[in-house]
Amino acid sequence: MSTRRIFVANRGEIAVRVIDACQRLGFETVVGVSAADKETLAAKRATRTVTLGGARSTESYLNQPAIVHAAISTGCTAVHPGYGFLSERADFARLCEENALIFIGATPEQLETLGDKLSARAFAQSVGVPVSPGGPTKTLDEAKALAIEVGYPLLVKAAFGGGGRGMKLVERADDLSEAWSVASSEAASSFGDGTVFLERFVRAAKHIEVQILGDRHGGCLQLGERECSLQFRYQKILEEAPSSSLNAVDREKLHSYALRIANGLKYQGLGTVEFLYDVDKRDIWFLEVNPRVQVEHPVTEAVTGVDLVREQILVAFGEPLRLAQSDIRLEGHAVELRLTAQNPANGLKPSPGRLTKWRPSPIGGVRWDSHMYEGYLFPPYYDALMAKIIAFGQDRETALSRAGQAIERLEVAGPITNANLLKQLLASQAVIENSVTTQWLEEQFARRMFP
Amino acid sequence: MNIDLEEIAAVVRLIKGAEFSEFRYAKGDVSLVVRRGELPADSGGETTAAAAPTPPPAPKVVAPVPARQPGAPPRGPGSETALQGPSSSVTAPLLGSFYGAPKPGDPPFVRVGDRVEPDTVVCIIEVMKLMNSVVAGVGGTITAVHASDGELVEHGQALFTIQSVEPA
Repeated sequence: MSTRRIFVANRGEIAVRVIDACQRLGFETVVGVSAADKETLAAKRATRTVTLGGARSTESYLNQPAIVHAAISTGCTAVHPGYGFLSERADFARLCEENALIFIGATPEQLETLGDKLSARAFAQSVGVPVSPGGPTKTLDEAKALAIEVGYPLLVKAAFGGGGRGMKLVERADDLSEAWSVASSEAASSFGDGTVFLERFVRAAKHIEVQILGDRHGGCLQLGERECSLQFRYQKILEEAPSSSLNAVDREKLHSYALRIANGLKYQGLGTVEFLYDVDKRDIWFLEVNPRVQVEHPVTEAVTGVDLVREQILVAFGEPLRLAQSDIRLEGHAVELRLTAQNPANGLKPSPGRLTKWRPSPIGGVRWDSHMYEGYLFPPYYDALMAKIIAFGQDRETALSRAGQAIERLEVAGPITNANLLKQLLASQAVIENSVTTQWLEEQFARRMFP
Repeated sequence: MNIDLEEIAAVVRLIKGAEFSEFRYAKGDVSLVVRRGELPADSGGETTAAAAPTPPPAPKVVAPVPARQPGAPPRGPGSETALQGPSSSVTAPLLGSFYGAPKPGDPPFVRVGDRVEPDTVVCIIEVMKLMNSVVAGVGGTITAVHASDGELVEHGQALFTIQSVEPA
């Protein structure tokens, strides 16, 4: 059999991560880059690099015909979409399929079911997984009736289409009419459907998610949970595995919910089932499934010892799972920090530019997933992620302390980074005692506790 | 319409020592404008084409000589570069498969030595069965073809070299 060659349709650290996994499998890689990304670490490491199009994502990383054409022309048999960009697009998965390319991800049908809020919730309910109180409403009267059941505060948002667009928090019944009407007309103009989704808003919620992996033969696994409550405007900043907020009963429940969804879908590939966890009431609610590799996958790798991207590639090629559920044993604790080119003193505004100094300091138990190198020109066109610092220890305290050392010893100059914010967070009591909920950091910023 | 390099060189030699800032010459459908030093302030946006009264429909031939620093050596008479502009590349506006002819077996859109206008189609780039025509973008002479039929060309890759007509 000739050497397998995989097309990497992504950029940044995840492109490097995928190339790394392929190299260890003995597979060749072709990375498709934008005109702005010819000098990236992924471009340097891949077997071959092709320029897909201009700097704008629509011309390059979202340019489906160019990617498929480039993959075929360079002799690739599979496409790895990474995260973001085309990773959750059913039409792209289908286009790959039609051109005899293996899409390294879920099936188009699964992506369709999971890509739509309503059908994903309906599916979760159909397999007995609780969803947050709420539902779609077509008229204001329907909304008023449903709001009484759901209770306040609640969120209104477009039922179709995503990205948190048109999402509004309604604190009191008096404000519902206006918020609903605005959301409905926004939804109609943006997504062509005025249906509005009502959902209970949980102020003090933990974000907990479960890693799943399925093969093409009906085999499914869960690889434990991660907690990602420390967020800023729905952007995760610190993630860890396992969650220290769960007791044994709730952990068991959470894992079984994730497996019900994975088994119910006969899920193929790597995925994450996200939940909200109300610590006080001990309620668990299904949020959504991310059908792709997740940014924070390394914390799960650290505590399970499983190379998730390797497994993801192998199951896509039709290999049966090599692991049984009983093989998944957790050890220790892992914390991931997201170092970004964002200025905490300026509302975390992106700060791209030339990296004049980049010297991460080697520390035992710390892994760096990064595409940075000294002299790299950090482009302004894409996301601000510079590096993921993954610290492992026998317990949470050790992991946090190693993460702190790693960020303390990093020498970086050029773009303004969020390093100081990360240091402050690691030193804060709420993080140390894990009382952080998803709204915490924004409230801290609002009260000027940070930076 | 023909313009002789030797004739122009001779004219330039003749007027070199004379006191002038702009020299215009017209004969038949040929006109020549030679300027020295800065362009007059009031003609900031004026093009040489506007300065050359050209009776339609005869194509205009404008051969302006660029302003030269005093003391700079004049270009040698008869030297071809005196009339030729810079070389430029036609690059692939998108990734795809290169095709030099409308369909297999047809003569190519352009060959080395062909004159092209900015809107002359020079090749096709196929992306997933969609044919995209690529135009030259500049007028001039094709001096090199860098891609072969069916080859994967990347965004920004050089496909042709064109020697443009306007001098530098």
